Amino acid sequence: MRAFVINKNCRHFETEQEVVSGVVQLLKNAGYRIRIEVPSLGQSADMVATRSRWVTFIEAKTRDWRKALTQCEAHKNVADYIAVAVATVNPPTALLDIANERGYGVIHCQPRSGRTDWLLTPRRNDELWRPQRLELSKALRNIDYEH
Amino acid sequence: MSIDHWMLFGTFAQQNYFEYPVRGTYCGTIINANMAAHAPAGLAAFLLEKTANTRYIIDPLTHAFQHAPEAICNDAGELKSSVRSLAEEYGEPVSSIVGTKPLLPSAFEDESVVHHFSERCVSFQCNQLTSYMKQSDAAKYLDDSDIAPPYAVIAPYFFMTETTLSDWLRVNIACAEHVASRRGDLESKVFAAVVVDQGILLDESYLLKIAEAYASISGIEGVLLWVDSLDEQDASGAALKALLRLARGLRQSEREVVNLHGGYFSVLAAGAPGDRALTGVTHGPEFGEFRGVVPVGGGIPIARYYIPDLHARIRYADALRFLRAQGWLDNAELFQENVCDCEVCVGVLREGAENFVQFGESNVKRVKRRSGLVRIAYPTKAAKELCLKHYLQRKRREYVAASEATANVLLEDLIHGASKYEDVTGLEGVEHLRLWHRVLKESGSSDS
Repeated sequence: MRAFVINKNCRHFETEQEVVSGVVQLLKNAGYRIRIEVPSLGQSADMVATRSRWVTFIEAKTRDWRKALTQCEAHKNVADYIAVAVATVNPPTALLDIANERGYGVIHCQPRSGRTDWLLTPRRNDELWRPQRLELSKALRNIDYEH
Repeated sequence: MSIDHWMLFGTFAQQNYFEYPVRGTYCGTIINANMAAHAPAGLAAFLLEKTANTRYIIDPLTHAFQHAPEAICNDAGELKSSVRSLAEEYGEPVSSIVGTKPLLPSAFEDESVVHHFSERCVSFQCNQLTSYMKQSDAAKYLDDSDIAPPYAVIAPYFFMTETTLSDWLRVNIACAEHVASRRGDLESKVFAAVVVDQGILLDESYLLKIAEAYASISGIEGVLLWVDSLDEQDASGAALKALLRLARGLRQSEREVVNLHGGYFSVLAAGAPGDRALTGVTHGPEFGEFRGVVPVGGGIPIARYYIPDLHARIRYADALRFLRAQGWLDNAELFQENVCDCEVCVGVLREGAENFVQFGESNVKRVKRRSGLVRIAYPTKAAKELCLKHYLQRKRREYVAASEATANVLLEDLIHGASKYEDVTGLEGVEHLRLWHRVLKESGSSDS
Protein backbone atom coordinates (compact mmCIF):
# COMPACT_ATOMS: atom_id res chain seq x y z
CA MET A 1 0.00 0.00 0.00
CA ARG A 2 1.39 3.37 -0.95
CA ALA A 3 1.41 6.11 1.71
CA PHE A 4 -0.09 9.46 0.74
CA VAL A 5 2.32 12.14 2.00
CA ILE A 6 1.18 15.66 2.61
CA ASN A 7 3.94 18.21 2.22
CA LYS A 8 3.37 20.40 5.26
CA ASN A 9 5.90 22.91 4.03
CA CYS A 10 3.90 23.78 0.92
CA ARG A 11 2.85 27.42 1.31
CA HIS A 12 0.89 29.78 -0.82
CA PHE A 13 0.93 33.58 -0.75
CA GLU A 14 4.55 33.98 0.29
CA THR A 15 4.88 37.32 -1.48
CA GLU A 16 2.57 40.30 -1.75
CA GLN A 17 2.40 39.71 -5.51
CA GLU A 18 0.98 36.25 -4.83
CA VAL A 19 -1.53 37.73 -2.44
CA VAL A 20 -2.54 40.26 -5.09
CA SER A 21 -2.95 37.49 -7.66
CA GLY A 22 -5.17 35.51 -5.29
CA VAL A 23 -7.32 38.52 -4.50
CA VAL A 24 -7.60 39.50 -8.16
CA GLN A 25 -8.97 36.03 -8.92
CA LEU A 26 -11.45 36.24 -6.03
CA LEU A 27 -12.74 39.63 -7.10
CA LYS A 28 -12.76 38.78 -10.79
CA ASN A 29 -15.01 35.81 -10.03
CA ALA A 30 -17.32 38.21 -8.17
CA GLY A 31 -17.64 40.46 -11.23
CA TYR A 32 -15.12 43.16 -10.35
CA ARG A 33 -12.63 44.68 -12.76
CA ILE A 34 -9.28 45.27 -11.12
CA ARG A 35 -6.37 47.58 -11.61
CA ILE A 36 -3.19 47.10 -9.61
CA GLU A 37 -0.59 49.58 -8.32
CA VAL A 38 -2.82 52.60 -8.60
CA PRO A 39 -1.19 55.87 -7.54
CA SER A 40 -3.46 57.93 -5.35
CA LEU A 41 -2.67 60.85 -3.08
CA GLY A 42 1.05 60.30 -3.14
CA GLN A 43 0.97 56.58 -2.44
CA SER A 44 0.25 53.48 -4.45
CA ALA A 45 -2.80 51.33 -3.76
CA ASP A 46 -2.18 47.60 -4.34
CA MET A 47 -5.54 47.06 -6.02
CA VAL A 48 -8.50 49.16 -7.07
CA ALA A 49 -11.55 47.07 -7.93
CA THR A 50 -14.55 48.56 -9.67
CA ARG A 51 -18.01 47.13 -10.10
CA SER A 52 -20.73 49.33 -11.57
CA ARG A 53 -20.09 52.76 -10.04
CA TRP A 54 -18.51 51.50 -6.83
CA VAL A 55 -14.79 51.70 -6.22
CA THR A 56 -13.03 49.44 -3.69
CA PHE A 57 -9.43 49.96 -2.59
CA ILE A 58 -7.56 46.92 -1.32
CA GLU A 59 -4.16 46.79 0.37
CA ALA A 60 -2.39 43.42 0.43
CA LYS A 61 0.04 42.30 3.12
CA THR A 62 1.90 39.13 3.99
CA ARG A 63 2.90 40.71 7.29
CA ASP A 64 2.80 44.16 8.93
CA TRP A 65 -0.93 44.56 8.39
CA ARG A 66 -0.87 47.68 10.59
CA LYS A 67 0.96 49.47 7.80
CA ALA A 68 -1.94 48.61 5.50
CA LEU A 69 -4.32 50.31 7.92
CA THR A 70 -2.25 53.50 7.74
CA GLN A 71 -2.31 53.36 3.94
CA CYS A 72 -6.08 52.91 4.06
CA GLU A 73 -6.53 56.24 5.85
CA ALA A 74 -5.76 58.23 2.68
CA HIS A 75 -8.08 55.99 0.64
CA LYS A 76 -11.02 57.37 2.61
CA ASN A 77 -10.89 60.45 0.40
CA VAL A 78 -11.52 58.47 -2.78
CA ALA A 79 -12.89 54.97 -2.12
CA ASP A 80 -16.46 53.74 -1.65
CA TYR A 81 -15.15 50.64 0.08
CA ILE A 82 -11.78 49.79 1.62
CA ALA A 83 -10.32 46.38 2.43
CA VAL A 84 -7.14 44.72 3.63
CA ALA A 85 -5.98 41.34 2.34
CA VAL A 86 -3.72 39.34 4.66
CA ALA A 87 -1.88 36.07 4.20
CA THR A 88 -1.44 34.75 7.71
CA VAL A 89 -2.27 31.26 8.93
CA ASN A 90 -4.80 32.68 11.35
CA PRO A 91 -6.34 36.06 10.64
CA PRO A 92 -5.17 38.48 13.37
CA THR A 93 -7.95 39.19 15.81
CA ALA A 94 -6.72 42.74 16.31
CA LEU A 95 -6.97 43.39 12.58
CA LEU A 96 -10.53 42.08 12.51
CA ASP A 97 -11.48 44.28 15.46
CA ILE A 98 -9.93 47.44 14.02
CA ALA A 99 -11.24 46.78 10.53
CA ASN A 100 -14.71 46.18 11.88
CA GLU A 101 -14.56 49.41 13.87
CA ARG A 102 -13.40 51.40 10.84
CA GLY A 103 -15.66 49.72 8.31
CA TYR A 104 -12.86 48.09 6.33
CA GLY A 105 -13.24 44.68 4.78
CA VAL A 106 -10.79 41.83 5.42
CA ILE A 107 -9.84 39.21 2.84
CA HIS A 108 -8.00 36.19 4.19
CA CYS A 109 -5.51 34.40 1.97
CA GLN A 110 -4.86 31.05 3.62
CA PRO A 111 -1.19 30.11 3.12
CA ARG A 112 -1.74 26.39 3.64
CA SER A 113 -4.79 25.79 1.50
CA GLY A 114 -4.33 28.61 -0.98
CA ARG A 115 -7.99 29.64 -0.43
CA THR A 116 -9.01 33.27 -0.55
CA ASP A 117 -12.17 34.40 1.22
CA TRP A 118 -13.88 37.48 2.55
CA LEU A 119 -13.81 37.37 6.35
CA LEU A 120 -15.37 40.77 6.77
CA THR A 121 -17.24 42.68 4.12
CA PRO A 122 -16.51 46.41 4.05
CA ARG A 123 -19.08 49.03 4.95
CA ARG A 124 -19.69 51.97 2.67
CA ASN A 125 -17.19 54.76 3.37
CA ASP A 126 -19.01 57.99 4.12
CA GLU A 127 -15.87 60.16 4.19
CA LEU A 128 -15.34 60.18 0.43
CA TRP A 129 -14.56 63.64 -0.98
CA ARG A 130 -16.18 64.04 -4.36
CA PRO A 131 -13.58 66.42 -5.89
CA GLN A 132 -10.75 64.01 -5.06
CA ARG A 133 -12.76 61.09 -6.43
CA LEU A 134 -13.07 62.93 -9.74
CA GLU A 135 -9.27 63.23 -9.82
CA LEU A 136 -8.99 59.48 -9.21
CA SER A 137 -11.46 58.76 -12.00
CA LYS A 138 -9.32 60.79 -14.39
CA ALA A 139 -6.19 58.89 -13.35
CA LEU A 140 -7.90 55.48 -13.63
CA ARG A 141 -8.69 56.11 -17.28
CA ASN A 142 -4.97 55.89 -18.01
CA ILE A 143 -4.44 52.59 -16.19
CA ASP A 144 -5.27 49.27 -17.83
CA TYR A 145 -7.23 46.55 -16.09
CA GLU A 146 -5.23 43.62 -14.79
CA HIS A 147 -7.39 41.12 -16.65
CA MET B 1 14.22 95.90 12.21
CA SER B 2 13.76 93.81 9.09
CA ILE B 3 15.07 90.28 8.72
CA ASP B 4 17.16 89.67 5.63
CA HIS B 5 15.21 87.29 3.42
CA TRP B 6 17.61 85.45 1.13
CA MET B 7 16.60 82.95 -1.52
CA LEU B 8 18.78 80.15 -2.88
CA PHE B 9 18.99 79.71 -6.61
CA GLY B 10 18.11 76.14 -7.50
CA THR B 11 17.25 75.71 -11.15
CA PHE B 12 16.55 78.02 -14.07
CA ALA B 13 13.00 76.67 -14.13
CA GLN B 14 12.38 78.62 -10.93
CA GLN B 15 14.04 81.87 -11.95
CA ASN B 16 10.76 83.73 -12.29
CA TYR B 17 10.07 83.46 -8.58
CA PHE B 18 12.86 85.67 -7.32
CA GLU B 19 10.62 88.70 -7.38
CA TYR B 20 7.55 86.87 -6.20
CA PRO B 21 5.10 87.67 -4.64
CA VAL B 22 6.27 91.27 -5.02
CA ARG B 23 9.39 93.01 -6.20
CA GLY B 24 11.73 93.49 -3.29
CA THR B 25 10.55 90.45 -1.34
CA TYR B 26 14.08 89.11 -1.12
CA CYS B 27 17.09 91.03 0.03
CA GLY B 28 19.22 88.85 -2.21
CA THR B 29 19.98 85.62 -3.99
CA ILE B 30 22.52 82.99 -3.05
CA ILE B 31 24.09 81.10 -5.93
CA ASN B 32 26.21 77.99 -5.67
CA ALA B 33 29.65 78.45 -7.17
CA ASN B 34 29.47 75.26 -9.22
CA MET B 35 26.48 76.68 -11.05
CA ALA B 36 28.29 79.98 -11.52
CA ALA B 37 31.21 78.05 -13.03
CA HIS B 38 29.00 75.90 -15.22
CA ALA B 39 26.34 78.32 -16.48
CA PRO B 40 27.73 81.84 -15.99
CA ALA B 41 25.96 83.45 -18.95
CA GLY B 42 22.56 82.17 -17.85
CA LEU B 43 23.13 83.26 -14.27
CA ALA B 44 24.38 86.67 -15.35
CA ALA B 45 21.20 87.15 -17.40
CA PHE B 46 19.13 85.87 -14.48
CA LEU B 47 20.67 88.40 -12.10
CA LEU B 48 20.22 91.29 -14.51
CA GLU B 49 16.76 90.47 -15.74
CA LYS B 50 15.04 88.57 -12.94
CA THR B 51 16.46 90.04 -9.76
CA ALA B 52 17.10 93.67 -10.65
CA ASN B 53 18.46 95.68 -7.76
CA THR B 54 18.80 92.77 -5.38
CA ARG B 55 22.05 91.58 -3.90
CA TYR B 56 23.71 88.28 -4.61
CA ILE B 57 26.30 86.11 -2.97
CA ILE B 58 28.20 83.24 -4.57
CA ASP B 59 28.65 80.37 -2.14
CA PRO B 60 32.16 79.17 -3.09
CA LEU B 61 31.23 75.59 -2.18
CA THR B 62 34.83 74.78 -1.35
CA HIS B 63 33.70 72.01 0.99
CA ALA B 64 32.76 69.98 -2.12
CA PHE B 65 36.40 68.98 -2.53
CA GLN B 66 36.90 67.55 0.95
CA HIS B 67 34.38 64.73 0.61
CA ALA B 68 34.89 61.29 -0.85
CA PRO B 69 34.77 61.59 -4.66
CA GLU B 70 31.45 59.72 -4.83
CA ALA B 71 29.78 62.71 -3.19
CA ILE B 72 30.56 64.87 -6.21
CA CYS B 73 29.94 62.30 -8.93
CA ASN B 74 26.79 61.78 -10.94
CA ASP B 75 24.73 58.58 -11.07
CA ALA B 76 27.09 57.19 -13.71
CA GLY B 77 30.01 57.61 -11.31
CA GLU B 78 31.57 60.46 -13.29
CA LEU B 79 32.71 63.70 -11.73
CA LYS B 80 29.99 66.33 -12.09
CA SER B 81 31.03 68.68 -14.86
CA SER B 82 30.04 71.73 -12.81
CA VAL B 83 32.39 70.66 -9.99
CA ARG B 84 35.18 70.02 -12.50
CA SER B 85 34.69 73.52 -13.92
CA LEU B 86 34.84 74.96 -10.42
CA ALA B 87 38.03 73.06 -9.58
CA GLU B 88 39.66 74.48 -12.71
CA GLU B 89 38.71 77.97 -11.59
CA TYR B 90 40.19 77.46 -8.12
CA GLY B 91 43.37 75.69 -9.24
CA GLU B 92 45.56 73.92 -6.71
CA PRO B 93 45.31 72.21 -4.32
CA VAL B 94 41.95 71.04 -5.68
CA SER B 95 42.29 70.85 -9.47
CA SER B 96 44.72 67.92 -9.51
CA ILE B 97 42.80 65.71 -7.08
CA VAL B 98 39.15 66.50 -7.74
CA GLY B 99 37.16 63.38 -8.41
CA THR B 100 40.03 61.08 -7.47
CA LYS B 101 40.70 61.74 -3.80
CA PRO B 102 39.41 63.99 -1.04
CA LEU B 103 41.12 67.23 -0.10
CA LEU B 104 42.80 67.03 3.33
CA PRO B 105 43.70 69.83 5.76
CA SER B 106 47.37 68.96 5.28
CA ALA B 107 47.14 70.41 1.77
CA PHE B 108 47.03 73.85 3.40
CA GLU B 109 50.08 73.54 5.63
CA ASP B 110 52.03 75.87 3.41
CA GLU B 111 50.82 79.43 3.91
CA SER B 112 51.30 80.23 0.24
CA VAL B 113 48.70 77.56 -0.64
CA VAL B 114 46.18 79.26 1.66
CA HIS B 115 46.88 82.62 0.03
CA HIS B 116 46.83 81.34 -3.52
CA PHE B 117 43.65 79.30 -3.06
CA SER B 118 41.86 82.12 -1.22
CA GLU B 119 42.83 84.62 -3.92
CA ARG B 120 41.48 82.43 -6.73
CA CYS B 121 38.32 81.77 -4.75
CA VAL B 122 37.73 85.49 -4.10
CA SER B 123 38.59 86.42 -7.67
CA PHE B 124 36.09 83.90 -8.98
CA GLN B 125 33.32 85.33 -6.80
CA CYS B 126 34.13 88.93 -7.72
CA ASN B 127 34.59 88.46 -11.46
CA GLN B 128 32.86 85.37 -12.76
CA LEU B 129 29.32 86.71 -13.02
CA THR B 130 30.14 90.41 -13.36
CA SER B 131 32.24 89.72 -16.46
CA TYR B 132 29.36 87.79 -18.05
CA MET B 133 26.92 90.51 -17.00
CA LYS B 134 29.00 93.09 -18.82
CA GLN B 135 28.95 90.96 -21.99
CA SER B 136 25.21 90.25 -21.84
CA ASP B 137 22.57 91.79 -24.10
CA ALA B 138 20.87 93.38 -21.13
CA ALA B 139 24.08 95.30 -20.33
CA LYS B 140 23.58 97.47 -23.42
CA TYR B 141 20.85 99.29 -21.56
CA LEU B 142 22.71 99.58 -18.28
CA ASP B 143 25.43 101.76 -16.81
CA ASP B 144 28.53 100.04 -15.48
CA SER B 145 27.40 101.02 -12.02
CA ASP B 146 24.28 98.87 -12.48
CA ILE B 147 26.47 95.79 -12.71
CA ALA B 148 27.20 95.16 -9.09
CA PRO B 149 29.79 92.91 -7.52
CA PRO B 150 28.57 90.33 -5.00
CA TYR B 151 27.17 91.73 -1.77
CA ALA B 152 29.83 89.74 0.05
CA VAL B 153 32.67 87.41 -0.84
CA ILE B 154 32.89 84.24 1.20
CA ALA B 155 36.25 83.01 2.36
CA PRO B 156 37.02 79.40 1.44
CA TYR B 157 35.49 77.09 4.01
CA PHE B 158 35.35 73.43 4.90
CA PHE B 159 32.82 71.30 6.76
CA MET B 160 33.70 70.62 10.39
CA THR B 161 32.63 67.61 12.45
CA GLU B 162 33.44 66.70 16.04
CA THR B 163 36.44 64.71 14.91
CA THR B 164 37.71 67.07 12.22
CA LEU B 165 37.04 70.38 13.97
CA SER B 166 40.60 71.07 15.05
CA ASP B 167 42.10 70.34 11.64
CA TRP B 168 39.58 72.15 9.47
CA LEU B 169 39.00 75.08 11.84
CA ARG B 170 42.67 75.94 11.51
CA VAL B 171 42.37 75.96 7.70
CA ASN B 172 39.07 77.86 7.76
CA ILE B 173 40.50 80.54 10.01
CA ALA B 174 43.65 80.87 7.91
CA CYS B 175 41.56 81.35 4.75
CA ALA B 176 39.20 83.80 6.49
CA GLU B 177 42.12 85.81 7.87
CA HIS B 178 43.67 86.07 4.43
CA VAL B 179 40.43 87.21 2.77
CA ALA B 180 39.72 89.64 5.63
CA SER B 181 43.15 91.15 5.10
CA ARG B 182 42.07 92.00 1.55
CA ARG B 183 38.93 93.85 2.69
CA GLY B 184 40.27 97.24 1.70
CA ASP B 185 40.79 96.12 -1.92
CA LEU B 186 37.35 94.64 -2.36
CA GLU B 187 34.07 96.29 -3.31
CA SER B 188 32.19 93.53 -1.50
CA LYS B 189 31.87 92.76 2.18
CA VAL B 190 33.92 89.89 3.54
CA PHE B 191 32.05 86.95 5.03
CA ALA B 192 33.17 83.65 6.48
CA ALA B 193 31.12 80.46 6.37
CA VAL B 194 30.69 78.17 9.35
CA VAL B 195 29.47 74.75 8.29
CA VAL B 196 29.23 72.13 11.01
CA ASP B 197 27.60 68.84 11.78
CA GLN B 198 24.98 68.45 14.48
CA GLY B 199 27.41 66.74 16.87
CA ILE B 200 29.31 69.99 17.23
CA LEU B 201 26.15 71.77 18.34
CA LEU B 202 25.82 69.61 21.39
CA ASP B 203 29.19 70.37 22.91
CA GLU B 204 29.47 73.80 24.46
CA SER B 205 33.27 73.75 24.23
CA TYR B 206 33.13 73.33 20.46
CA LEU B 207 30.70 76.23 20.12
CA LEU B 208 32.94 78.45 22.19
CA LYS B 209 36.00 77.42 20.25
CA ILE B 210 34.37 78.27 16.93
CA ALA B 211 32.88 81.57 18.14
CA GLU B 212 36.19 82.69 19.66
CA ALA B 213 38.16 81.72 16.58
CA TYR B 214 36.00 83.81 14.27
CA ALA B 215 35.70 86.68 16.77
CA SER B 216 39.45 87.05 16.60
CA ILE B 217 39.35 88.01 12.89
CA SER B 218 38.70 91.72 12.71
CA GLY B 219 37.91 92.12 9.01
CA ILE B 220 35.01 89.66 8.86
CA GLU B 221 31.71 91.47 8.45
CA GLY B 222 29.37 88.51 8.31
CA VAL B 223 29.01 84.76 8.53
CA LEU B 224 26.99 82.22 6.59
CA LEU B 225 25.94 79.52 9.03
CA TRP B 226 24.93 76.02 7.96
CA VAL B 227 24.28 73.08 10.26
CA ASP B 228 24.28 69.83 8.30
CA SER B 229 20.76 68.42 7.81
CA LEU B 230 19.27 70.36 10.72
CA ASP B 231 15.55 70.03 10.10
CA GLU B 232 14.08 72.47 12.59
CA GLN B 233 10.81 70.54 12.66
CA ASP B 234 12.53 67.36 13.83
CA ALA B 235 15.39 68.87 15.81
CA SER B 236 15.73 68.42 19.57
CA GLY B 237 15.39 71.34 21.93
CA ALA B 238 19.07 70.97 22.79
CA ALA B 239 20.06 71.28 19.14
CA LEU B 240 17.87 74.35 18.61
CA LYS B 241 19.24 76.03 21.75
CA ALA B 242 22.76 75.28 20.57
CA LEU B 243 21.96 76.76 17.17
CA LEU B 244 20.94 79.97 18.94
CA ARG B 245 24.12 79.93 21.06
CA LEU B 246 26.32 79.41 18.02
CA ALA B 247 24.57 82.17 16.07
CA ARG B 248 24.89 84.57 19.00
CA GLY B 249 28.51 83.65 19.43
CA LEU B 250 29.15 84.52 15.81
CA ARG B 251 27.12 87.74 15.98
CA GLN B 252 29.81 89.45 18.06
CA SER B 253 30.51 93.02 17.04
CA GLU B 254 27.20 93.18 15.20
CA ARG B 255 28.34 90.92 12.42
CA GLU B 256 25.69 89.73 10.03
CA VAL B 257 24.86 86.07 10.56
CA VAL B 258 22.74 84.41 7.90
CA ASN B 259 21.44 80.88 8.27
CA LEU B 260 22.07 79.38 4.85
CA HIS B 261 19.28 76.79 5.25
CA GLY B 262 16.67 77.80 7.76
CA GLY B 263 12.95 77.47 8.44
CA TYR B 264 10.50 79.40 10.57
CA PHE B 265 12.42 78.73 13.79
CA SER B 266 15.38 80.58 12.30
CA VAL B 267 13.10 83.37 11.13
CA LEU B 268 11.84 83.75 14.70
CA ALA B 269 15.43 83.59 15.94
CA ALA B 270 16.17 86.53 13.66
CA GLY B 271 13.25 88.46 15.12
CA ALA B 272 12.36 89.57 18.61
CA PRO B 273 11.77 86.04 20.01
CA GLY B 274 15.40 85.11 19.32
CA ASP B 275 16.72 88.55 20.18
CA ARG B 276 18.10 88.82 16.64
CA ALA B 277 20.48 85.90 17.00
CA LEU B 278 20.52 85.86 13.21
CA THR B 279 20.29 88.78 10.80
CA GLY B 280 18.96 86.77 7.91
CA VAL B 281 17.66 83.41 6.81
CA THR B 282 17.88 81.69 3.44
CA HIS B 283 15.58 79.15 1.88
CA GLY B 284 15.03 77.92 -1.64
CA PRO B 285 11.90 77.94 -3.71
CA GLU B 286 10.04 75.27 -1.74
CA PHE B 287 13.20 73.47 -0.65
CA GLY B 288 16.30 74.28 1.29
CA GLU B 289 14.94 74.91 4.79
CA PHE B 290 17.46 72.24 5.71
CA ARG B 291 20.05 70.44 3.65
CA GLY B 292 22.74 67.85 4.00
CA VAL B 293 26.29 68.94 3.30
CA VAL B 294 26.91 65.94 1.12
CA PRO B 295 24.53 66.04 -1.83
CA VAL B 296 21.97 63.31 -1.84
CA GLY B 297 19.66 62.15 -4.61
CA GLY B 298 16.68 64.23 -5.61
CA GLY B 299 13.97 61.68 -4.87
CA ILE B 300 10.46 61.85 -6.20
CA PRO B 301 8.85 65.29 -6.02
CA ILE B 302 5.80 65.13 -3.81
CA ALA B 303 3.19 67.87 -3.87
CA ARG B 304 3.24 69.54 -0.50
CA TYR B 305 0.93 72.21 0.77
CA TYR B 306 2.40 74.68 3.26
CA ILE B 307 0.03 74.87 6.22
CA PRO B 308 0.61 78.36 7.59
CA ASP B 309 -0.27 77.66 11.22
CA LEU B 310 1.99 74.61 11.27
CA HIS B 311 4.79 76.47 9.44
CA ALA B 312 5.39 73.24 7.60
CA ARG B 313 5.10 71.78 4.12
CA ILE B 314 2.71 68.88 4.45
CA ARG B 315 2.13 66.07 1.97
CA TYR B 316 -1.00 66.86 0.03
CA ALA B 317 -2.80 63.71 1.26
CA ASP B 318 -2.15 64.65 4.90
CA ALA B 319 -3.08 68.29 4.37
CA LEU B 320 -6.34 67.16 2.80
CA ARG B 321 -7.05 64.87 5.74
CA PHE B 322 -6.33 67.57 8.32
CA LEU B 323 -8.35 70.26 6.59
CA ARG B 324 -11.31 68.01 5.87
CA ALA B 325 -11.37 66.72 9.43
CA GLN B 326 -11.67 70.29 10.67
CA GLY B 327 -14.39 71.11 8.17
CA TRP B 328 -12.30 73.87 6.61
CA LEU B 329 -12.81 72.55 3.11
CA ASP B 330 -16.59 72.77 3.45
CA ASN B 331 -16.52 76.15 1.75
CA ALA B 332 -14.04 78.77 0.59
CA GLU B 333 -14.90 81.25 3.35
CA LEU B 334 -14.10 78.74 6.09
CA PHE B 335 -10.87 77.89 4.32
CA GLN B 336 -9.77 81.51 4.07
CA GLU B 337 -10.74 82.22 7.65
CA ASN B 338 -8.99 79.19 9.11
CA VAL B 339 -6.27 78.09 6.73
CA CYS B 340 -5.00 80.67 4.26
CA ASP B 341 -6.15 83.87 2.62
CA CYS B 342 -3.10 84.45 0.42
CA GLU B 343 -3.85 85.56 -3.12
CA VAL B 344 -3.01 82.12 -4.53
CA CYS B 345 -5.43 80.29 -2.26
CA VAL B 346 -8.13 82.93 -2.72
CA GLY B 347 -7.73 82.61 -6.49
CA VAL B 348 -7.74 78.82 -6.53
CA LEU B 349 -10.73 78.47 -4.23
CA ARG B 350 -12.73 81.32 -5.77
CA GLU B 351 -15.00 78.87 -7.60
CA GLY B 352 -15.34 76.63 -4.56
CA ALA B 353 -13.35 74.80 -1.88
CA GLU B 354 -13.32 71.67 -4.04
CA ASN B 355 -10.65 73.38 -6.13
CA PHE B 356 -8.20 72.59 -3.34
CA VAL B 357 -7.57 69.41 -5.38
CA GLN B 358 -5.51 71.59 -7.73
CA PHE B 359 -2.71 71.61 -5.15
CA GLY B 360 -2.49 67.81 -5.42
CA GLU B 361 -3.00 67.18 -9.13
CA SER B 362 -0.68 64.53 -10.52
CA ASN B 363 0.10 62.55 -13.63
CA VAL B 364 0.76 58.84 -13.53
CA LYS B 365 3.92 57.62 -15.21
CA ARG B 366 5.56 54.22 -15.42
CA VAL B 367 9.04 54.28 -13.97
CA LYS B 368 11.70 51.59 -13.98
CA ARG B 369 12.61 50.34 -10.52
CA ARG B 370 14.57 47.38 -9.24
CA SER B 371 11.30 45.46 -8.92
CA GLY B 372 10.37 46.30 -12.52
CA LEU B 373 8.08 48.94 -13.97
CA VAL B 374 5.96 50.70 -11.36
CA ARG B 375 3.44 53.48 -11.62
CA ILE B 376 4.25 56.69 -9.81
CA ALA B 377 2.14 59.81 -9.58
CA TYR B 378 4.14 62.97 -10.26
CA PRO B 379 2.69 66.36 -9.40
CA THR B 380 1.66 68.28 -12.47
CA LYS B 381 3.54 71.43 -13.43
CA ALA B 382 0.46 73.44 -12.50
CA ALA B 383 0.22 71.79 -9.06
CA LYS B 384 3.92 72.39 -8.36
CA GLU B 385 3.56 76.01 -9.37
CA LEU B 386 0.53 76.54 -7.13
CA CYS B 387 2.24 74.91 -4.14
CA LEU B 388 5.35 77.00 -4.75
CA LYS B 389 3.53 80.31 -5.14
CA HIS B 390 1.45 79.66 -2.03
CA TYR B 391 4.63 78.76 -0.12
CA LEU B 392 6.41 81.93 -1.21
CA GLN B 393 3.39 84.06 -0.31
CA ARG B 394 3.40 82.62 3.19
CA LYS B 395 7.16 82.83 3.63
CA ARG B 396 7.04 86.52 2.83
CA ARG B 397 4.32 87.03 5.47
CA GLU B 398 6.42 85.11 7.99
CA TYR B 399 9.50 87.27 7.47
CA VAL B 400 7.49 90.48 7.59
CA ALA B 401 5.59 89.40 10.71
CA ALA B 402 8.75 88.25 12.50
CA SER B 403 10.39 91.57 11.66
CA GLU B 404 7.55 93.65 13.04
CA ALA B 405 5.67 91.77 15.75
CA THR B 406 6.62 91.49 19.39
CA ALA B 407 8.12 88.32 20.82
CA ASN B 408 4.96 87.60 22.80
CA VAL B 409 2.70 87.84 19.79
CA LEU B 410 4.93 85.57 17.70
CA LEU B 411 5.38 83.03 20.46
CA GLU B 412 1.68 82.91 21.30
CA ASP B 413 0.99 82.36 17.62
CA LEU B 414 2.98 79.11 17.83
CA ILE B 415 0.82 77.84 20.67
CA HIS B 416 -2.31 78.93 18.85
CA GLY B 417 -1.23 76.93 15.79
CA ALA B 418 -0.52 73.85 17.91
CA SER B 419 -3.90 74.04 19.63
CA LYS B 420 -5.67 74.54 16.34
CA TYR B 421 -4.26 71.40 14.70
CA GLU B 422 -3.46 68.91 17.46
CA ASP B 423 -6.91 67.31 17.28
CA VAL B 424 -6.22 66.14 13.75
CA THR B 425 -2.44 65.81 13.62
CA GLY B 426 -1.91 64.33 17.07
CA LEU B 427 0.59 65.87 19.45
CA GLU B 428 3.54 64.73 17.36
CA GLY B 429 2.25 66.74 14.41
CA VAL B 430 2.47 69.99 16.35
CA GLU B 431 5.24 69.28 18.85
CA HIS B 432 7.74 71.33 16.86
CA LEU B 433 5.64 74.44 17.51
CA ARG B 434 5.55 73.90 21.26
CA LEU B 435 9.27 73.07 21.28
CA TRP B 436 10.16 76.24 19.34
CA HIS B 437 8.02 78.21 21.81
CA ARG B 438 9.82 76.69 24.78
CA VAL B 439 13.31 77.07 23.33
CA LEU B 440 12.81 80.68 22.32
CA LYS B 441 11.09 81.55 25.60
CA GLU B 442 13.87 79.95 27.68
CA SER B 443 16.63 81.45 25.60
CA GLY B 444 15.26 84.87 26.36
CA SER B 445 14.36 87.87 24.27
CA SER B 446 14.77 91.58 24.76
CA ASP B 447 11.18 92.31 23.85
CA SER B 448 8.41 90.53 25.68
